[in-house]
Amino acid sequence: MSTGGAPEDAPRTALRASRAFRWAVLGGAAVMVAIAIVLLFLLTQATNNRELYERNYGRLFILNMVVAAVLLLIIVWVIVRLASRFRRGKFGSRLLIKLAAIFALVGFMPGVLIYVVSYQFVSRSIESWFDVKVEGALDAGLSLGRSTLDTLANDLSNKTRTAATQLADLPDSSAALVLERVREQLSASDVILWSASGQLIASAGQSRFQLNPERPSAQQLRNVRAQRSLAVIEGFDEPALAAVSSARIKALATVAPPRLDLLVEPRVLQATQGLPPTLVANAIAVQEANREYQERALGREGLRRMYIGTLTLSLFLAVFGAILLAVILGNQLARPLLLLAAGVREVAAGDLSPKPALQGKDELGGLTRSFAQMTQQLADARNAVEKSMDQVSAARANLQTILDNLTAGVIVLDAKGNIQSTNPGATRILRVPLAAYEGQPLASVEGIEAFGAAVQTQFDDYMDERRQHGLDHWQQSFELNAGQPGSPQNNALTLVARGAEMPGDFRLLVFDDISEIVSAQRAQAWGEVARRLAHEIKNPLTPIQLSAERLEMKLADKVHGPERALLKKSVQTIVDQVDAMKRLVNEFRDYARLPAAELKPVDLNALVADVLALYTREGSESQGSAHVPVEMDLDPHAPAIMGDAQQLRQVIHNLLQNAQDATEGAAKREVTIRTQWNEAGKRVRLIVQDTGSGFPEHILKRAFEPYVTTKVKGTGLGLAVVKKIADEHGARIDLKNRVVDESIRGAQVSLSFAVAA
Amino acid sequence: MAWVAPAWAESTVVELSQMRLERSEEGVLLSTNLKFDLPPVVEDALQKGIPMFFVAEAVVFRDRWYWYDKQIATVARHMRLSYQPLTRRWRLVVSHMQIGNSGLALGQNFDTQEEAMAAVQRISRWRIADPGDLEEGARYNVDFKFRLDTSQLPRPFQIGVVGQGDWNISVARNQRLLLEGAR
Repeated sequence: MSTGGAPEDAPRTALRASRAFRWAVLGGAAVMVAIAIVLLFLLTQATNNRELYERNYGRLFILNMVVAAVLLLIIVWVIVRLASRFRRGKFGSRLLIKLAAIFALVGFMPGVLIYVVSYQFVSRSIESWFDVKVEGALDAGLSLGRSTLDTLANDLSNKTRTAATQLADLPDSSAALVLERVREQLSASDVILWSASGQLIASAGQSRFQLNPERPSAQQLRNVRAQRSLAVIEGFDEPALAAVSSARIKALATVAPPRLDLLVEPRVLQATQGLPPTLVANAIAVQEANREYQERALGREGLRRMYIGTLTLSLFLAVFGAILLAVILGNQLARPLLLLAAGVREVAAGDLSPKPALQGKDELGGLTRSFAQMTQQLADARNAVEKSMDQVSAARANLQTILDNLTAGVIVLDAKGNIQSTNPGATRILRVPLAAYEGQPLASVEGIEAFGAAVQTQFDDYMDERRQHGLDHWQQSFELNAGQPGSPQNNALTLVARGAEMPGDFRLLVFDDISEIVSAQRAQAWGEVARRLAHEIKNPLTPIQLSAERLEMKLADKVHGPERALLKKSVQTIVDQVDAMKRLVNEFRDYARLPAAELKPVDLNALVADVLALYTREGSESQGSAHVPVEMDLDPHAPAIMGDAQQLRQVIHNLLQNAQDATEGAAKREVTIRTQWNEAGKRVRLIVQDTGSGFPEHILKRAFEPYVTTKVKGTGLGLAVVKKIADEHGARIDLKNRVVDESIRGAQVSLSFAVAA
Repeated sequence: MAWVAPAWAESTVVELSQMRLERSEEGVLLSTNLKFDLPPVVEDALQKGIPMFFVAEAVVFRDRWYWYDKQIATVARHMRLSYQPLTRRWRLVVSHMQIGNSGLALGQNFDTQEEAMAAVQRISRWRIADPGDLEEGARYNVDFKFRLDTSQLPRPFQIGVVGQGDWNISVARNQRLLLEGAR
């Protein structure tokens, strides 16, 4: 993995992405769990321990707000990211947004529903707690307690007043005894007689044991003097438990002074009576209940807000959580799809590189794996196709090369005879730029209309016949430019053409220039004819000659005068003609019976000199053509060549003879023989030039064929023999007219021989 | 979630008259008389037996030109005013610490609300600093604050009322401590 190449990159990225994703899920889950715990806490606290809940409400609320804010931030971040992706047109963002929206909706709708229901429920139920009847009952209970207490207090107050009258005339000193009696009468727990200034005069009951019993306040003393008696309920301020035992009624009443002395301030009798504990407890309970009820009644708006706030908060948390989860899950769900879609896009674009696959066990993961596999197979298939395509194109190139270098002409025609393609061979043979005629009928090509028409006819016939006989090709030879009578056969072509059908309704036409083969065949046929003729003609020649000579010998003496002269002349004519015929026959024989060349190293220069020496001598002896001087220009560097000296001698002889004959009748009679050493080509050239009339155009092509001649009396076999020998030697033979200033100055024949190794 | 104080809340006007600071051998004494009427809502709550808490706070600062003023003494006076529907009496508990609902502290009883409120509103010769806290030659100022302490109200109540003008009874004053009285 550490040396990951390009193909390993994609899985690694996927791996990293999945790790990040796992972290995100983990974080989201943690947040969710935290929220759940908080909410659970809230719930339990709300149901169990109201006090604690109320005390911590603010903190909880803030905590929740923080969590909500964090979630909100995350969601905003996610949404912003999604939006920016969408705006950038990043691939797959639309799907992601869609999925997230669906999931968010799925999470959001139930949340809202529950919220609405709970909202209604909470507000209704809170309102239902506060009932007019309950309030009335509590009020009534409170009034009941209050009136009971008032009744008791009034009762004690009245009784105390009555008792005070008993003490009216009593002096302070004897008050103690009476007080005890009064206490019993009143069934009070404690009775105290106070002086007008608030000094203790006498006491009975518990207060006797107190060093300094609680004095009535100045206000109370003032009130009692004004009202003669009053009652105060005490002890309710203390905590409930203590109040039960310490609640008491304290009644005060003025005691008239002993003498009717108005100036003396009246004394005050104080009686204290404990209240029944059950009464006190119930009264306090009612009061407490009332207080709490009132508290709640006044605070119900707050309570409602609190509960609804909690609800709203949980809604927000749930919705945020849902959205967050939606985004995360949407991502999770969309990832394989995006992977697939991206892969498909790449594949569509022609990128068959390995595709990342998810390792998930679900169908989507399987899908990505299958896709990766499929892509791999596609890539393999494409590689195979490419390979075979390469092979095919290589084969095609081979074929094309072969076609291009084929000497035979190849033309592909369609069913209507239009040219589809041609090879250079066809152009060369037909001497028509066929490539320019592609798509046109072969019969319309200028110069070979007849050929095209004939080919078309052949094809039509072939197609007809094929159905009956199942032939797979036709073959036919054509003479091109041969049909014009009277015109020289300057560019007559002999073609052999073969046609076949190709797949796709195409037709293949292959043809070859067999002019040279025909020419060779003709030469061979002539050779055979010559041999036979020579044989047949030669046999009677000697008896004819002998008979003629014998006739002359026998008759010469018997006739005289003009008869004798006639005889002599006739016999001479016969002998001469027979000689000529003999020579002719010998030449025929020579041509036909040329022996196979024995190739040995030969010095061409020496050979030429040797032959030329013969000519000079001949030239001096005989008249006729031998008058022509032969110039010799030999290259001293020319090495030995491979050749048959006897045959080469014949060649030189024939060429010189031809040249001398050609100059006959020309103004300037001159023959040159020359050798040239071509170092680069490793060949030696033998050139014979004359100053004659040159070759006529129609002869030039067929000059090497037997019996093609310009001479009045000639067999036309000289150059044919030369050609035959040159072929035996593997020498190139070249025939041309020497052209200076566009006028023919003579002919030139050149042969180039391979040098001896 | 709109428990944030609404801006339009109007608070009850508290008149702070005759705030007097004097230095004596006992220390710094504060006397003042507050004048305000309880808003009907608060009065209603009181009548229904819900106790109300008032807090008076006084802080003595010594002036420091080089730094913020040094706080040399802080005193608080917590007052719990409650009505007992059973006995139809008012009770005021005063303490220098926070008073819970337990009511263990001693207090005064009043027959009428007016008397009880008068006791709440009158602060006389409240010792806000010991004589030892003060140095000669230094300059002092005193922060005095009085408010209805809603934080000790029952929670739902708080959530419902906090920020509402009716429940906002407070006054604050800063006064320079003049070197008057015994030296």
